[in-house]
Amino acid sequence: MNTNYIISKKTKRVFLSISVIGILLIALGFLFQNPESKNIWMSVLLNNLYFLFLSLFGVLFIALHKIAHSGWHVSLKRIPEALSTFLPYAAVLMFLLIFGMHDLYHWTHHDLHDPIIEGKSAYLNVPFFFIRMAVYFAGWIGLSYLLRKNSMSQDLSDDYKYHKQGKVLAALFMAFFAVSSSTMSWDWIMSVDPHWFSTLFGWYVFIGLFVSGIAAFILIIAFLKSQGHLEFVNKEHLHDLGKYLFGFSIFWMYLWFFQYMLIWYSHIPEETIYFAQRLNGFPVLFFTILVLNFLFPFLALMTRNAKRNIKWLAMVASVVLIGQWLNIYLMLSPGILGETAQIGFIEIGAACLYLGGFLWVIFNALSKKPLLCKNDPFLEESFHYET
Amino acid sequence: MYVSPIREPLIKGNKTYSQITKDIAAPIEGKPGKAWYMGISLSLSAMFLGLAMMGWTIWEGIGTWGLNRTIGWGWGITNFVWWVGIGHAGTFISAILLLFRQKWRTSINRSAEAMTIFAVLCAGLFPLIHMGRPLLAFFVFPYPNTRDLWVNFNSPLLWDVFAISTYLLVSLLFWYMGLIPDIGTMRDRVKSKAKKFIYGLLSFGWTGSVKHWQRHEKLSLILAGLAAPLVLSVHSIVSADFATSIIPGWHTTIFPPYFVAGAIFSGFAMVLTLLIVTRKVLNLENYITLAHIESMNKIIIATGSIVGIAYLTELFISWYSGVEYEQYAFLNRAAGPYWWAYAIMMTCNVISPQLLWFRKLRRNLVFTFILSIFINIGMWFERFVIIVTSLHRDYLPSSWSMYKPTLVEVGIFVGTLGLFFTCFLLFIRAFPVIAIAEVKTVVKSSGEKEIKNETL
Amino acid sequence: MRRYISAYFTDEEDLLRASKILMEKEISILDVLTPFPVHGLDKVLGLKESKLPTVGFIAGAIGTIFAFGFQTWAFVVDYPLFIGGKPHFAIPAFIPITFEVTVLFAAFAMVFAFLFRSKLGLGAKNKIHDERITDDRFVIIIDANESDEHFENVKNILEHEDAHDIQLKENQ
Repeated sequence: MNTNYIISKKTKRVFLSISVIGILLIALGFLFQNPESKNIWMSVLLNNLYFLFLSLFGVLFIALHKIAHSGWHVSLKRIPEALSTFLPYAAVLMFLLIFGMHDLYHWTHHDLHDPIIEGKSAYLNVPFFFIRMAVYFAGWIGLSYLLRKNSMSQDLSDDYKYHKQGKVLAALFMAFFAVSSSTMSWDWIMSVDPHWFSTLFGWYVFIGLFVSGIAAFILIIAFLKSQGHLEFVNKEHLHDLGKYLFGFSIFWMYLWFFQYMLIWYSHIPEETIYFAQRLNGFPVLFFTILVLNFLFPFLALMTRNAKRNIKWLAMVASVVLIGQWLNIYLMLSPGILGETAQIGFIEIGAACLYLGGFLWVIFNALSKKPLLCKNDPFLEESFHYET
Repeated sequence: MYVSPIREPLIKGNKTYSQITKDIAAPIEGKPGKAWYMGISLSLSAMFLGLAMMGWTIWEGIGTWGLNRTIGWGWGITNFVWWVGIGHAGTFISAILLLFRQKWRTSINRSAEAMTIFAVLCAGLFPLIHMGRPLLAFFVFPYPNTRDLWVNFNSPLLWDVFAISTYLLVSLLFWYMGLIPDIGTMRDRVKSKAKKFIYGLLSFGWTGSVKHWQRHEKLSLILAGLAAPLVLSVHSIVSADFATSIIPGWHTTIFPPYFVAGAIFSGFAMVLTLLIVTRKVLNLENYITLAHIESMNKIIIATGSIVGIAYLTELFISWYSGVEYEQYAFLNRAAGPYWWAYAIMMTCNVISPQLLWFRKLRRNLVFTFILSIFINIGMWFERFVIIVTSLHRDYLPSSWSMYKPTLVEVGIFVGTLGLFFTCFLLFIRAFPVIAIAEVKTVVKSSGEKEIKNETL
Repeated sequence: MRRYISAYFTDEEDLLRASKILMEKEISILDVLTPFPVHGLDKVLGLKESKLPTVGFIAGAIGTIFAFGFQTWAFVVDYPLFIGGKPHFAIPAFIPITFEVTVLFAAFAMVFAFLFRSKLGLGAKNKIHDERITDDRFVIIIDANESDEHFENVKNILEHEDAHDIQLKENQ
């Protein structure tokens, strides 16, 4: 069985042209839209987060399944591992924010005379912000590197010790991620509206991360399968990924609903302003997000056959990916740009530019190692997998 | 189904199908031992004490409780939430673990589901008696009445009515549908005519036909699919009783998922408390093995850590919010007059489960048993802390007050414990505590060795 | 009067093999009785997928519409009241009850459909073929309303697949 993947020239050209289209769109944006520096930084932050989340999902998926002693996912594990290789790039891109703090985060301004923001300054201050960022990335990149290395070493040896070490690393990552996933969403997303707070926010962002990651995972499998790879991935694997997408879309809706409902119900102005801005400024987008991230996947993936049909699954996954991108957009833009923000050439162009680069990194990583791992004690289970 | 050789066997002792039936049916067929009689007399006396106290409450009025104008909710709702929480492990095990195809659930799902039902029954008692006139409890349901009024659909307390009754009914259906084949087994085993008749009636005429099995499996799967979000919704709605208000310490958006995690946490603790004893007394150590205990302990540490993170998140955001009432509420929790309750909660729920990171302790029965009781206590105090510390400091300092439960309240709580254990003890005498048919489906792939069947 | 052949197995693998061969030879299997759900047996016997999920979906949809519709009617049309400054048509507040009723309807509909279709229920008088079926015996029941030759034929196949107690029986 040939499990090596080589990026075809055509694929490379496609990735490149996605980025080129992105650059062209950005150029158009500069010509016609007269963007402020805020618009640019907003796009940087949005796409940084979006692709960072997809990449983080890779590590999370591996770690979660490793500590749960899961067998079915083993034959697929190279793909989330490849997703995690984008992390260092994401780190560099995030540190670019050093130059954009003033545009992005209102709390960095000096002449505020705002007692509420002053009260938060022990946490919301620029040096600490970047120290935290460095800590998160150090943890994520370090552990994901070790996990990936551990998995590669297992390929070369049938020693059981790698499996055991992998479990320890996975548990460490889970513990680190459990805290950092919440704090990073407070730092990078919630503090865009520096007066607003919600205890659920971190978990809500986290579940969005998980849903978009699953969707990306499904799309990569669909692409590789269409190129004639991954013949060992059968309908049962797809069915499980489909169930994940279905189930976590519902879970996302559940958290969205309770965050919204509790704030709506209590009707405290300092909290409701968050949703008031979004609902009044972006009514169409507000409901589109609910349709794309919940209603559509919920109805489209309800039947068993829908989850086992790769083309259909890939279509739903693409819709969810767009939905999650819009979701992050709506979390950021009212706070940074106000209620008049619009999605234009710049926003779409920047997303395309990032997408091309992201795909380039991921598929390069995929082509460096065989698509199928070896010697994992659960690999055989993954092959003989049926419900 | 291929199973990796490095996985620990789930059923020990090289069992045949027939042996499985015999082992699991044994506690029902044999005479109850001394331990059982001691247990039932203890729990029955507790139950009667509780009934007496409930009777006294209804006769005399809610004034027999320690509630006052500031603290209108105290012991009763703490117990309500505690019991509902415990009632979450059963459906979690059967529904969510079924969806995630965790085979180890087969040995524990039956008793955990039974526990769920009994716990929800106990929970339901508290709102009922708190109404003061339990005979008029039907007022909470929307029915056409002479007052031309509807119940308040906007109230989380009414959502509770729907959530808890739906949860009870669906759990009951789920549990009973799973029981039918096993009741069939009992019907075919018992000798006495009367027993045969009763089990025959309860088995719904189960024959074991392949068509029935096919539908039965489909039914279980879809019911699990429905029950999984139901589990999440029930405790989320319970949490909304508090979180929809504007009371500092109650109104926080993390409540729904955090209550659910806490519920599963406490539910698993109660399952462990019961099963560690049950497996020993009923000689089921080959079916509920150390591997099962370890798996449950892993869920404990996962949910316990989620709860811990939620505590810290609340604490941090209360400071971050800049709202002085929020800041005060949390400071008062940790350092106010009820600091000891907060300390118990933190120690039992956050710190003690972290010991389970060590594999040796996860597989140590004595340690697990003690820990599970600690968690039960800790989770009780969590609800106490949330309810009482948030209420006892009103916005108006002249209303500040303290809460002390009366003996009547304590008696009612002890009574529900009695009811719970009475039900459980009767259950293990009447129905198989382990799903016989389900265990048979995993014994070949996950049994200790390949099984050899007896010849005819 | 209807005649049938019954045969016993002690292992589900033998049963699966025998069923497969019988199906290939187009010998009609009336029923297979097993102590637990045998994985893949329904596929071997060519049983149709159960329609229970559809029942659940329809009942759930009815529950959704009923619960949401009823709350809306009660609070918007029948008796509008101001409660806590909320609008009469308070969508977020209606969702929890709508969800619960949806689940309740779907679960009950599926369970009743299951019992009805399988003719199970309190006081159902189904024939119990053998008391060992709920313990460790797998029984296959084959239509025998043909010639005696048919019985011999079936018996040969079954014996070859380790079946025991192959008998020709008659329904009363």
